[in-house]
Amino acid sequence: MAAADNTSAALRRRDLCSRGIRLAGKMRSDVVDLLDTYVERQGLDASASVAAVEGVPVAAVERWDEQTGTQRLLENLAAYRTFRALLAQMLEEQQEQLGEADTTLGQALAAVLLQVSAFTYHLEELLRLESRGPPSEEGAEPPPAPHLSLFERKLRGLGVLRELAQWAVRSTRDLRQLAKPSPGSSSPASLAESP
Amino acid sequence: MDDRAPPGNLTGCLFCFVEENPRSECKCWSSGQKNPLDVDEKLGTPQGHCTGGEMANPVPSACCVVLAVVVVVYAQRHSQQDSHIQYERVGADVTMKCGSMDWDAAVTWTANGTDIDASHLNGSYLILKKVDLTQSGQYSCYEGSSWHLKYQTYLRVGTPPKEPLLMCRSNNYPKGFYCSWHLPTPTYIPNSFNISVIHGTREMVCEKDVFPKNRCHIRYLQLFSTVKYKVTLTVTNALGKNSTTATFDEFAIVKPDPPESVVAKPVPNNPRRLEVSWQNPSSWPDPESFPLKFFLRYRPLILDQWQHVELSDGTSHTITDAYAGKEYIIQVAAKDNDIGTWSDWSVAVHATPWTEEPKHLTTEAQVTETTSASTSSFMPPPTTKICDKGAVVGSGAVAVCWTAGLVLAAYGVLFI
Repeated sequence: MAAADNTSAALRRRDLCSRGIRLAGKMRSDVVDLLDTYVERQGLDASASVAAVEGVPVAAVERWDEQTGTQRLLENLAAYRTFRALLAQMLEEQQEQLGEADTTLGQALAAVLLQVSAFTYHLEELLRLESRGPPSEEGAEPPPAPHLSLFERKLRGLGVLRELAQWAVRSTRDLRQLAKPSPGSSSPASLAESP
Repeated sequence: MDDRAPPGNLTGCLFCFVEENPRSECKCWSSGQKNPLDVDEKLGTPQGHCTGGEMANPVPSACCVVLAVVVVVYAQRHSQQDSHIQYERVGADVTMKCGSMDWDAAVTWTANGTDIDASHLNGSYLILKKVDLTQSGQYSCYEGSSWHLKYQTYLRVGTPPKEPLLMCRSNNYPKGFYCSWHLPTPTYIPNSFNISVIHGTREMVCEKDVFPKNRCHIRYLQLFSTVKYKVTLTVTNALGKNSTTATFDEFAIVKPDPPESVVAKPVPNNPRRLEVSWQNPSSWPDPESFPLKFFLRYRPLILDQWQHVELSDGTSHTITDAYAGKEYIIQVAAKDNDIGTWSDWSVAVHATPWTEEPKHLTTEAQVTETTSASTSSFMPPPTTKICDKGAVVGSGAVAVCWTAGLVLAAYGVLFI
């Protein structure tokens, strides 16, 4: 019975990872398109260099291959919860700034926000499967947006979307690692042990 | 006997003969002894001269002299071995001085052992106008009467480096990337290259490859970074320097090597199929975590237009719309599933779909066809040529094909 449960959990995990990979792939594609729209609508230079933005989860990681499955899930979950809040802020600012004048950008932002929310839920499911359960969201809200000029807000938004695009690639890789069977078994490794 | 003292830097004596005859003696100088006589600064004084004392036997003294001469000649030649090299630009005017010789000294210049005409001399200076590459070589100056070598240099004519071409690429993501470079035009003189790699505020080490020498590789310390990499290559030679900088994202330079071991085979009993298989490039370190997708292209040799198929997984594909009997050329390219660019095309492979063996024909027309097929070189195979591109597979069309083939066979017989 226990073995059957394990197999069922392993299959569920693999299924969630596969769907998560597809979701992350679609999300990345949409974020890349959103970046083009954002740069154009906000009158920015696509090659503009944006310094690290405070409060934006940075996708860059050292020793990525050494992370455990649980580490991967927790870092992903923390990042996407923050992106969910950041995108909501951006959507609100964009609506205040442009009103209904630019629905294209607004709709694109909203679509990506929806995908980020869906992916966040997906990650929470994976963590539940681990019997860890996702950490609570208390205190996970990003700090309130600092008082910035319009141009600074636009640059900040560019930074948010760029990091989100990187995260989407990283998440795809993380989920593939999670979906890999452990050596000597045909089912995915348990999250605690798998790098 | 020559009483010249050795230069002050000598610490010992190379030759010191102690003769059997007790009346002869030979002294060696040690460092610190001064010589009241002039010493040639360039050549120094030969070491180990014997001095003083009577020599009862003339043979040893002659020996000593001969040896001394040998040493002098050797020293003259080899004092120039750690050669002076002189680099000059193509088109420059070059003036060479004959060491410390006065301007009005009588000298002879040679280039690679060949005397240089006096028209190139201004006093004892050698003047070379608008030098070109063919004038690279060894230039020597000899004192007029004694033929003592007074100066020698190796002239290398070349150019300062133009802006180098730099390319960086990751064919083994996520391990790292490499940068390679070359000069657009040769300089004809030695160049040294220095490369720096900066990621944000961090300077990274680019380890030079043993082979090829114009390449180095960097290990990724971070993945998924939005911070760009900045690579600066500086090339320097004796005539100048130049540099170039490349700035890029981690993802942008990812380009796998082409797939390997591409194999294409006919499928038995399937005249329109070809089975193609390949392997991931061996340089791609972890295809399971970083899977590749593939692009397959194929065409019959007789056509210029390629057919393309993109494959998101797997390392094999069956072509199902090949023209029967036609030889195909097939290639495959690879790309990381998520980032980067397509590899170059793989080595091309050739394959022809399976064709049915010609059946043994027993009717008169079939005998005629067989005869004509064995004697005519220009008759098309009855099963293929007629049923060419766009042919519909079906029993009616097959019958038409056979009929047409028989007609053609009959014509063939008539023409022979």
